Amino acid sequence: MELILAIGIGVLTTCGVWLLLRPRTFQVIVGLSLLSYAVNLFIFGMGRLRINAAPVLAGGPVETALYTDPVPQALVLTAIVIGFAMTALFLVVLLAARGLTGTDHVDGTGD
Amino acid sequence: MLIFLVALPFLASFLAALLPSNARNAEAWLSGLVAVCGLAITCWLYPQVSNGGIVREEIAWLPAPGLNLVFRLDGFAWLFCLLVTGVGFLVVLYARYYMSPADPVPRFFAFFLAFMGSMLGMVISGNLIQLVIFWELTSITSFLLIGYWFHIEKAREGARMALTVTGLGGLALLGGMLIIGRIVGSYDLDVVLASGNLIREHPLYLPALLLVLLGALTKSAQFPFHFWLPHAMSAPTPVSAYLHSATMVKAGVFLLVRLWPVMAGTDAWLWIVTFAGLTTLILGAYAAIFQTDLKGLLAYSTISHLGLITTLLGMSSPLATVAAIFHIANHATFKASLFMAAGIIDHETGTRDIRKLSGLFRFMPITGTLATVASAAMAGVPLLNGFLSKEMFFAETAVRDANPFVNLALPIGAAVAGVFSVTYSLRLVHSVFFGPPPEGLSRTPHEPPRWMRWPIEVLVLLCLIVGMIPGITIGPFLATAVLSVTGADTPAYSLAVWHGLNLPLAMSVIALVGGGLLYLALHRYLSRGIEGPPVIRALRGDHIFERVLVTVFWKWAGELKAFFSTQRLQPQLFFLVAVSVFAGAAPLAGRLGGVVFSAGNSDPAFALVWVIGVVCAIAAAYQAKFHRLVSLVLLGGAGLVTCITFVWFSAPDLAVTQLLVEIVTTVLILLGLRWLPKRVQHLENGAEKVRARLRRARDLVLALVAGGGMALIAYAVMTRPGPEGISSYFLENAYRLGGGTNVVNVMLVDFRGFDTLGEITVLGIVALTVFALLRRFRPAPDSIAKPVQQRIQKAYHEVNFSGKEETLSEYLRIPSVLMQWMFPVIIVLALHIFMRGHDKPGGGFAAGIVMSIAFILQYMAGGTRWVEDRLRIRPVIWISAGLLLALGTGICSWVFGYPFMTTAFQYAEIPFIGRVPMASALVFDLGVFVLVVGATVLILIALAHQSVRTPRLAQRLPPPLTVVEAASTPSEGDD
Amino acid sequence: MNFLRDHLVILPILLPMATGALLLLLNDRARRLKMLINTLSMLALLSLAVLLVQRAAGDGGGAAVPTATYALGNWPVPFGIVLVADRLAAVMVLLTSILGSCALIYSFARWHAAGPGFHSLFQFLLMGLNGAFLTGDLFNLFVFFEVLLAASYGLALHGSGGTRVKAGLHYIAVNLAASSLFLIGAALIYGVTGTLNMADLAARVPLVAAADRGMLEAGAGLLGVAFLVKAAMWPLGFWLPSTYAAVSAPVGALFAIMTKVGIYALLRFSMLAFGADAGASAGFGASFLLYAGMASIAFGTVGVLASKSPARLAGYCLLVSSGTLLAAVGFGSQGVTTGALFYLVSSTLAIGAFFLLVELFERVRIEGADVQTVTIEAFGEDDDEEEIEVEEISEAIPAALAVLSICFGICVLVVAGLPPLSGFIAKFALLSALLNPTGMGGAEPIAATTWALVALVIFSGFASLIALTRTGINTFWMTMSDHPAPVRVLEIAPVVLLLGLCVIMTIMAGPIMTYMEAASAQLHAPSGYHADVFAGPGGAPVERSAP
Repeated sequence: MELILAIGIGVLTTCGVWLLLRPRTFQVIVGLSLLSYAVNLFIFGMGRLRINAAPVLAGGPVETALYTDPVPQALVLTAIVIGFAMTALFLVVLLAARGLTGTDHVDGTGD
Repeated sequence: MLIFLVALPFLASFLAALLPSNARNAEAWLSGLVAVCGLAITCWLYPQVSNGGIVREEIAWLPAPGLNLVFRLDGFAWLFCLLVTGVGFLVVLYARYYMSPADPVPRFFAFFLAFMGSMLGMVISGNLIQLVIFWELTSITSFLLIGYWFHIEKAREGARMALTVTGLGGLALLGGMLIIGRIVGSYDLDVVLASGNLIREHPLYLPALLLVLLGALTKSAQFPFHFWLPHAMSAPTPVSAYLHSATMVKAGVFLLVRLWPVMAGTDAWLWIVTFAGLTTLILGAYAAIFQTDLKGLLAYSTISHLGLITTLLGMSSPLATVAAIFHIANHATFKASLFMAAGIIDHETGTRDIRKLSGLFRFMPITGTLATVASAAMAGVPLLNGFLSKEMFFAETAVRDANPFVNLALPIGAAVAGVFSVTYSLRLVHSVFFGPPPEGLSRTPHEPPRWMRWPIEVLVLLCLIVGMIPGITIGPFLATAVLSVTGADTPAYSLAVWHGLNLPLAMSVIALVGGGLLYLALHRYLSRGIEGPPVIRALRGDHIFERVLVTVFWKWAGELKAFFSTQRLQPQLFFLVAVSVFAGAAPLAGRLGGVVFSAGNSDPAFALVWVIGVVCAIAAAYQAKFHRLVSLVLLGGAGLVTCITFVWFSAPDLAVTQLLVEIVTTVLILLGLRWLPKRVQHLENGAEKVRARLRRARDLVLALVAGGGMALIAYAVMTRPGPEGISSYFLENAYRLGGGTNVVNVMLVDFRGFDTLGEITVLGIVALTVFALLRRFRPAPDSIAKPVQQRIQKAYHEVNFSGKEETLSEYLRIPSVLMQWMFPVIIVLALHIFMRGHDKPGGGFAAGIVMSIAFILQYMAGGTRWVEDRLRIRPVIWISAGLLLALGTGICSWVFGYPFMTTAFQYAEIPFIGRVPMASALVFDLGVFVLVVGATVLILIALAHQSVRTPRLAQRLPPPLTVVEAASTPSEGDD
Repeated sequence: MNFLRDHLVILPILLPMATGALLLLLNDRARRLKMLINTLSMLALLSLAVLLVQRAAGDGGGAAVPTATYALGNWPVPFGIVLVADRLAAVMVLLTSILGSCALIYSFARWHAAGPGFHSLFQFLLMGLNGAFLTGDLFNLFVFFEVLLAASYGLALHGSGGTRVKAGLHYIAVNLAASSLFLIGAALIYGVTGTLNMADLAARVPLVAAADRGMLEAGAGLLGVAFLVKAAMWPLGFWLPSTYAAVSAPVGALFAIMTKVGIYALLRFSMLAFGADAGASAGFGASFLLYAGMASIAFGTVGVLASKSPARLAGYCLLVSSGTLLAAVGFGSQGVTTGALFYLVSSTLAIGAFFLLVELFERVRIEGADVQTVTIEAFGEDDDEEEIEVEEISEAIPAALAVLSICFGICVLVVAGLPPLSGFIAKFALLSALLNPTGMGGAEPIAATTWALVALVIFSGFASLIALTRTGINTFWMTMSDHPAPVRVLEIAPVVLLLGLCVIMTIMAGPIMTYMEAASAQLHAPSGYHADVFAGPGGAPVERSAP
């Protein structure tokens, strides 16, 4: 399982980084989104992978061994929200840049 | 008392700056008073410093790094104080008459006093760093004084050159002082002076010496840094008379004398100082002969005289030092008076050009006489003070030395320089005051006002009496000064005018006669009035300096900057990724700590899911350029796979949130796509194609490395047993202390609620920014026109329905109705997700997103106008309310004396819904909910509104026809 | 006052947040009211910051007082989020509020009206900054970084306009990438050590298994890169000059401290996690920082010399200053840190003032050109943009030009580190400490890199002198206009204030330096930090009981 997820993270990162280095604003935003998936999965993975151990307490005495590490999940939730906000912001900025410079090139020059 | 001596001029300078701009007399009185006070204090302190005493006052300033304000007055410093205040007073008096009513005098006197203060501070500094401070202050204030008439280009340039050169010297000096401090272990002057051998024998001696000398030689305008001084002559003459005779330029030699006891005596010192001095002495004198500007001549003669002093100090014999100190005083007197005389001539005739001037003696006999006597002193004519110190100089050069080169070079050089100095003195006097009356002067010259000439009279008188009866006039003071420098090995010397027939006297005679002859010989050449000295005319230090300055500090800097920086985003991001790859990889090199790759325990289904994920990601990356919509869909696919992964590995909350965010993000980008330019593939020509290929290859490699690294690290960590961390605490106490069974949610609203508070703030901020930005949104011309489909549709209507939009009236009727019905349902769903949040997956954020989706659906269904006619949402208010609610909940706990966000909870029975946790955290979560709704809706609406706005914009812009063309022109795709 | 004593540490974060949220309720047209609220809150923040510094300093200058901490939600330390207000954090908060107040006053002259939401964004930025300085939790630090970045994006784009948006795009793109690095690094560190609390981290780092140490340091490295982007290290800082040149003057002034956030984080993190007692990882990355810092100084110097526009010049001065600080952090001796802290404060104040001056320069240059042109650029002629009254600057203050030139002179002295002002003192303290690592004197040899650093620092001062004189002469001596420069009291006052503080720093150098010494001592003794944090605000925290 770990191997698959690790490869997945790797691929997402690769695609994200590659797009990040491209000259079109839309490519960059897609790249950032892919990158954020990769990062979220990475954070999540730092809590190690557990199946059927959702950190939702069954009630009664708590047997910590039965549950996965909740901390990374909390971090990922925060990260997702912030990532969402930043994507929205970047989108609007790139639209504004496109509007003001007439091009969707990241440097606002050339075509 | 010493503190007062230094502080007084500075205080007065502030006062002077505040006086009205026409208060010439007030300013003069103020400054004069200050100078006199200084003089008085100096004289009053003399008894304490005579016979080797030291006055020392200390104020604690920066004890830690050893920088306290130490004021230390010894005989030598005393002599300088005398010069600074005494000449200062005379110059003030002179300036009162020199400056015209038009000049803004407050600035002049303010700077003048500040300079005087810095100079005094410098000479009585008892701490090396403090000395540097005042040293630089003199540079800065002199910069301001030289640039006083800044509307004149020459003044600006001269000022800048002076500041650059002396500023550089000052920084070098700082370096030198730091090294000395490092050697000695203290910056205190007394300590330093006590540890001469330590310094001279230390391995760091040479660098220290070089840096200190760089400071001193630049300040004293020694070769090869002499060139700034003539340019500084564009300052008002009083300034020149003060700075360039008695004070500023003397600072360098002052420093040399100060550190003479601890640094002199080594070969390095001997060679560098002596020969820098000797070269300056000769070159300066030579150049002085051929100046056509009166002040230029004086400037070069100053350079040459400073060279003389430097040479003496270089020889590092006590007697030479005596001569040096003596000449410092003498030069100050006659040179100051000469500058003032030059100023008067300028003032009376309107020119300083020697070629225009002649025969002025008949117009201003007294000034003429004075100037003649002063020049005689400068030339070293007997019975004048200049003669005495020059004679001592000759005597020193004539001393037999082990080194044959020194043996020859010094006396010959000295004699030659003596000849030259006689020549230029002669030229000065003869060509200005004698000969036929001048032609073409703007006004007929006459004697200056009584008090303008008075300072010169005083100084010339000094020249005379010192020259005739040195023993009883300057003698004791000189002795005091010398004693404080040479200390124990103070030599015996006599100041008598007549030492009998000896070599020095012979050299003086040679100088006088030779100088006279040389002047006669050169007379014809000089009368042709050619600017600049022959032979070395080409060698212009200032030009070289300027060129270097421009080339190095402007041209090269520009090129370096261009080479080492970029304005483009792609390289920046490339560097960022590259650096982070390095930062991540370097520590791991060979320290990965054993990674065993095993595909064991992997579920084929999961593998399949990720095959899809990988394909989606790669395809999205591939399509992102030319097929945005496709790539957006594929991006969604990748996101979905992420969701599934979360579900798979028991993170329901993440799955829910990720999914919802996914939806909203997609909608947003869809709304945005409409404004991006049409992009059609085109074929690049060969060359640029290859370059693009290479660029892409490079990027791809980097991306692969980054991705591989991430994968490796992730795998390595995931396959290791987790550390005994903080997590178990949360599991144990989520219910007991947090009152919720959904640990993640409890963490979000309670354990780490502060993070959530920050997170929603971010969301709010972004919403505001987006709103602000979109209010200014102006679409590019080529995306203003309605999309192609709509235009076709419109044309169709024109034809068939005479413009009535028949076919659109029923457009998507059923779905929209459904969506409108969904509205309440979704709201209920949102509430449900919200309520269960604390115990089951869900929570404020998820609920908020759901809620906003409900709104969006309405916008989709009914269109912006339809919705806003029916329900008016004020998102900004929601945002604010959400923030305040969350904040307020946290603050409530203060009332109970607990820290911020301490929660309390209770379960409540609510009919039909059942047992509901009523944690105060729930209220906090409500705040989150409200804010999320507000922010998300604000962003979406703001974006959606653009389509409504642009038609109005379209009317103000070029007709659609051209627009259509613009839209259809293919934009080539580079990479 | 009891309440203040208990909650002082968190107030600098909550106050701006509350103010920002409240200001949202007001209509943009109610500008007077907004100005009033904002000013009041700013004053309150200022006084809070002063109290915080007093608390951190304790009664006596050097007397060791337990660091003030604040356990959020009253959770025991390694588990909940904790705020820590040690001497450094306190002084940073004070610096923020000072700079903030001046920028705010300046913005009242015109800029605050140049677009919606300025006041709220301003307050949120302060919130983010203070949070970043005060938090003692790694992930919470990330959150506050995002808060301040988001606000800074908003402010950077404030006033819109082509150049701003273009520069903003780059700024945002780079920082978004940096943020994901931050996340990766923090996650990795959690994955290895299992904690997010920095004090706890400091305690766990030495115990990390040898096999995992590589991972830990990789995480730290990535985290460091994220910080270095904020600190605009070469070659990660190209966005800075263009962005800062594009933003409106008050925003630029406030941004002067944003690079320092990166420096602060680096200092804090490296001292805690990789300080002297960090076992095998002690001093991780120090040499890298040293070289990176020197490279940044060199590049910044070149930029200073080569830049034409004063705004860019100011930006490059910022690069030089953060380069110097980076090198100092990398050098990592206590004395050097002391000098660096002093330098940090003085240079931030001066460069902040510089950013404010730059805009006024432009007006002097175009001899009192009408503000209209400037504002049109700022507002962008848009259809549904409500008309904002732009009163022509009539009450030009007398002798404005003289005041301006004096301010500039002081600015030059401090920025270039020339005597006698605080800039020089800072540089002297720095250099003296570099050359005397073990107290004055001492026989141990000095490394070549140290010499190089000393030379660089001195030379950068000389270069700034050249460049700044050039600018000054061109601005004040070349284009002298008889009619007074159109400068308002509101605009010149904050500049005078900031530079006045530099002068005060010069006079009060002794006590301030003592404070900084204690601060750096605190930094270099992480064990004390750890102990204070774990001791909790009032000894052991109250153990919470179930209802």
